[in-house]
Amino acid sequence: MSTFVQTIVDGLGRGSTYALLALGISVIFGVMHLVNFAHAELITVGAYLAYFLSTRDINWWVLAPAIVVSAVVASVATERIAFRWVRGSSPFTMLLTSFALERLSHALWQVFVSPTKKSFAGPAWVFDTFEVGGIRFEWMDVATIAVTALVLALTAFVFRRTLFGIAVRAASEDFDAARLMGARANRVIAGAFAFAGFLAGVAAALILMRSPSAEPALGSDYLIKAVVAAIIGGLGSFTGAVAGGLALGLAEVMLRGYLPEGVWERLTDAFVFALIAALFIVRPQGLFTVRSAERV
Amino acid sequence: MPSSGLSAERAERLGRSAIASGAMFAVTVVAATVYTSSGGAARDLLVQELLVNIVIVMGLQVFIGSTGILSFGHLAFAQIAAYGVALTAIPAATKVGTLPDIPFGLGDVELGPVGATVVAVVAATILGAVIGVAIARAGGLAATMITLAVLFAVDQVVKNWQEMTRGAGGLSSVPRLTTNTWLWLAALVALLVAHVFRETRAGRFAVAARDDEIAAPAIGINVFWPRWTAWVVSVALVALAGALRVQMIGSTNPKQYTLDVGILLLAMLVVGGMRTVSGAFVGTAVITIGNEAARQIGDTHEIERLPELFLGVALLIVMLLRPGGLLGDADIAAWLQRRWHRSRRREAASPGALAGDEPASDEAPARSAASSGTGSGWGADSGSGSGALVVRDVVVRFGGFRALDGAALRVRPGEIVGLIGPNGAGKTTLFNVVNGLVAEESGTVMLGDRDLSHDPPHRIARAGLARTFQNLRLFGTQSVRENVALAALAARRYRPERVTVEVDDLLAQAGLLAVAERRAATLDYGNQRRLELARAAALSPEFLLLDEPTSGMSNAESLAMVDHVRTTARHVGAGVLVIDHDLAFVTRISDHIVALAEGRVIAEGTPDEIADDHAVAEAYLGRRDASTPP
Amino acid sequence: MLRVEHLTARYGAVVALRGVSMHVDEGDLVAVVGPNGAGKSTLLNTVAGLLKPVNGKVLLDGTDVTGADPARLVRAGLALVPEHRRIFRDLTVGENLQVAGITASAADRRLRLDAARQRFPILDSRWDTAAGHLSGGEAQQLAIARALMSDPKLVLLDEPTLGLSPVMTDVVFDLLAELHERGRTVLLVEQNAHRALALADRGYVMRPGEIAAEGPGAELAARDDLFATYLGGGVG
Repeated sequence: MSTFVQTIVDGLGRGSTYALLALGISVIFGVMHLVNFAHAELITVGAYLAYFLSTRDINWWVLAPAIVVSAVVASVATERIAFRWVRGSSPFTMLLTSFALERLSHALWQVFVSPTKKSFAGPAWVFDTFEVGGIRFEWMDVATIAVTALVLALTAFVFRRTLFGIAVRAASEDFDAARLMGARANRVIAGAFAFAGFLAGVAAALILMRSPSAEPALGSDYLIKAVVAAIIGGLGSFTGAVAGGLALGLAEVMLRGYLPEGVWERLTDAFVFALIAALFIVRPQGLFTVRSAERV
Repeated sequence: MPSSGLSAERAERLGRSAIASGAMFAVTVVAATVYTSSGGAARDLLVQELLVNIVIVMGLQVFIGSTGILSFGHLAFAQIAAYGVALTAIPAATKVGTLPDIPFGLGDVELGPVGATVVAVVAATILGAVIGVAIARAGGLAATMITLAVLFAVDQVVKNWQEMTRGAGGLSSVPRLTTNTWLWLAALVALLVAHVFRETRAGRFAVAARDDEIAAPAIGINVFWPRWTAWVVSVALVALAGALRVQMIGSTNPKQYTLDVGILLLAMLVVGGMRTVSGAFVGTAVITIGNEAARQIGDTHEIERLPELFLGVALLIVMLLRPGGLLGDADIAAWLQRRWHRSRRREAASPGALAGDEPASDEAPARSAASSGTGSGWGADSGSGSGALVVRDVVVRFGGFRALDGAALRVRPGEIVGLIGPNGAGKTTLFNVVNGLVAEESGTVMLGDRDLSHDPPHRIARAGLARTFQNLRLFGTQSVRENVALAALAARRYRPERVTVEVDDLLAQAGLLAVAERRAATLDYGNQRRLELARAAALSPEFLLLDEPTSGMSNAESLAMVDHVRTTARHVGAGVLVIDHDLAFVTRISDHIVALAEGRVIAEGTPDEIADDHAVAEAYLGRRDASTPP
Repeated sequence: MLRVEHLTARYGAVVALRGVSMHVDEGDLVAVVGPNGAGKSTLLNTVAGLLKPVNGKVLLDGTDVTGADPARLVRAGLALVPEHRRIFRDLTVGENLQVAGITASAADRRLRLDAARQRFPILDSRWDTAAGHLSGGEAQQLAIARALMSDPKLVLLDEPTLGLSPVMTDVVFDLLAELHERGRTVLLVEQNAHRALALADRGYVMRPGEIAAEGPGAELAARDDLFATYLGGGVG
């Protein structure tokens, strides 16, 4: 029982970051049908910022918000520099544009900073644990889940209650109709990128507290999981992205926990990917279907 | 005559592929010879790299280029083949030491280079063929995601199944090939396969489905098969590249098969222009050479990782400025084809036969074809045809809205029936039900005694219902001739019992011979409409379903369309069901008219009867008496 | 109020409008009728900025707004109720109206939301329902209510009675009459030619790409050759 609860907490902790990233990918896909493979580069941006600032002895209470801000700025910048010019192109073109940005980001860090890993100090309490009813929890796991829950609640509020959020949802469903209501395309899309950047920034802060280091390809591992989670959920579906992220985190941890030791256990990730491939055979549109405005 | 024409065409297609492949191969040989004539082993390595890349990118082109489906997963099969070679070719004595726990009795296997290559490529291809079923079925973004998942799954297996693979370190002591001969041969084969595949039925159908996923089934193409075939062929090529590379290096290295490398290879495909083999070839050369140049510049100026920077910038610039690639749709093979057709037409025209070639009037070729068509007119139809098209009590609901509410109609063989009704009456929905794009809630669609109600679009097309689309759905990147030829090819394959129609006859009838080698998307509107009709007719259908054939045409053009539709339908011996808002057109062309409003038939009869019908007038104009608001 | 000069527009390869000129005076209700494919929707979409014209001008209150962004036109006082309504089906009724008030100040938006609730009790009663669950008639009322959220001077309506039952058609026509009475300028594209022209101050009859006839609504409605135009090619 206690291992089961620990597994769940562990899985949710891992799934939280996937969910935050997947949600951002889904929001951007909603407004411009771009599968943004450069999204996780925002983590890398945050990581290098944290690395530079931490050498100046800056406290994590300042560092974490700074990471979030840097991700927002970088996200909006990618839209201005690249994605605005391919808006309305085929999804293939937009996808490859995001790939080009991802490559470029890796290369720029490698060329101008260093190809090797730069580590810095995380907060002291990260690996501290506490016990409730005989079950041991890590503070970081709890913090991750709590912060994610808070951010998701905030997201729900933004998309349900604010005019900006409602406009983004409207634009996701029928962009032209939203423009006819007076919504400005540039603002809606830039706003979506900013919000996606915020979500990625929070994910980055959580990830970096646990493993405080920066390297050029840091984003890649998270990217794949996040894209996969967004697509599992059904691209453009916000609830789906969160569900997909959490499900992916749980599946990883569960499989690792329950597969027999030896070869099978080491092949956990292979199983996760095999399961994902199987999912798309059964439901090509993902778990949650999204209405689209296209007509045959 | 048609058969000899056909085999001549086949020979021409093969010849064209051979010339294009040979040209690219020759360019590569000359460039490599010049490059390696000075400088040492490092230059030889670059040539090896280029050859491996050519094989892989040609493989990618066969699938991604022809189907338009992005794949990240191909490298997984190169990796499988590489490990396949390693596991079967490493001497048994070595394996005892390095892989003591190797399963499946692989420890005792020791094959020569040819045997190992064949076993590895076949094994990888069979696995690919199985996974390909899922990919071809899913299509689109889902297929892309499956390929991504496959890449990671294989990567994880290789890294973690240490009994077989020794993990990230890789396997060494693979017997090495001492010359580049095999690589050169593989590159030549890859170029040939990529070119020839494009000329095969599967290749042409795959391209059709890429250009328009709805129009392809409408001429009888089951998009699954061409996609799957393209996938299997491309996996085999990529596997071959993996199997050879491991024998050049002498060891496996999981780092050569990651997503990063996959993107590099995709960039090669895309930068030149992924839709054509020429584009893929140019892209491979540009990126391979550019990458190497960047590396050397980086080395001399001590800038690390300059190649990555080069790649990102190159890809970004191409995507922003030329999303179709440097070459766009330019292609040696396509150029050769245009030349061939042009010269053939000149030959045909030269022996004093000036009249009748340029069909200023559509009549001449049509008549001759009709008279020589050995009873392919509508009189003879009752024998070979499959009876009337009968739609009964069809109900379709979108949300709460009843788009069709018990609609019914009948078209007899050879008959022309007009379907009219105000906006939103359900005319196009009825078409979509008949040809399988929309599922009906209840009701039946019968062709003769065959129930088509639950058949998918490609089966319905094969049964003999060919349609055109309100918003025009041509295979835009393909030539005008190819648009019609694709349907004729489908007809020969799937409707062998019918008299085949000559592509040139149909093009002449539509007045399109002069523009036959142009890309369909570049035609003006009237010609696009006529081309779509010619394509539908090339299927030798029992019935032509025409959705607003005169939409956007002037009065004079509409009038000309009456004769054109009639001649075309008679030429292929088909009945016609036509939707049009232009009542003058419908009245002139139809033997019988059905009027639809709010999803129901409100009137039917001869054109004269319909013109006098009050219900029809009301449906179009609203009720006159109730018109004064309070 | 609105003046369209020699407008030429393409839709893909089709030339949908060939040099169309027309105008709408302040306070008028102008109806545009004609067969399917005549270019009526293209005309509205081009005026509203969804489609860039190849040639010609669109003037709103004397200002050249040719090819302007729809969002800018909304701010200039123009609202389009598009063909097929295009309500946001995943948003609630209330959210649909809030988005439509995006150009207004928060206070104005609140006032207009209240006004909409009062004027459309049926929408008020389904305020928190997803708009996708509305019936055709309710959805059309939502679409019109949505257009009014920006308090436009000029309302463009594209086939507002399409697919509606006779009862709901009456409701929509009453609503149009009411808009007109309250002094809003209305440009109406409508299939139901007799009713639209009877209601209109002025009317235009289109045939593919062109204006076939124009004049006072009642006069056009009484012309018997109108049906011939609908038959296509019957006029001129």
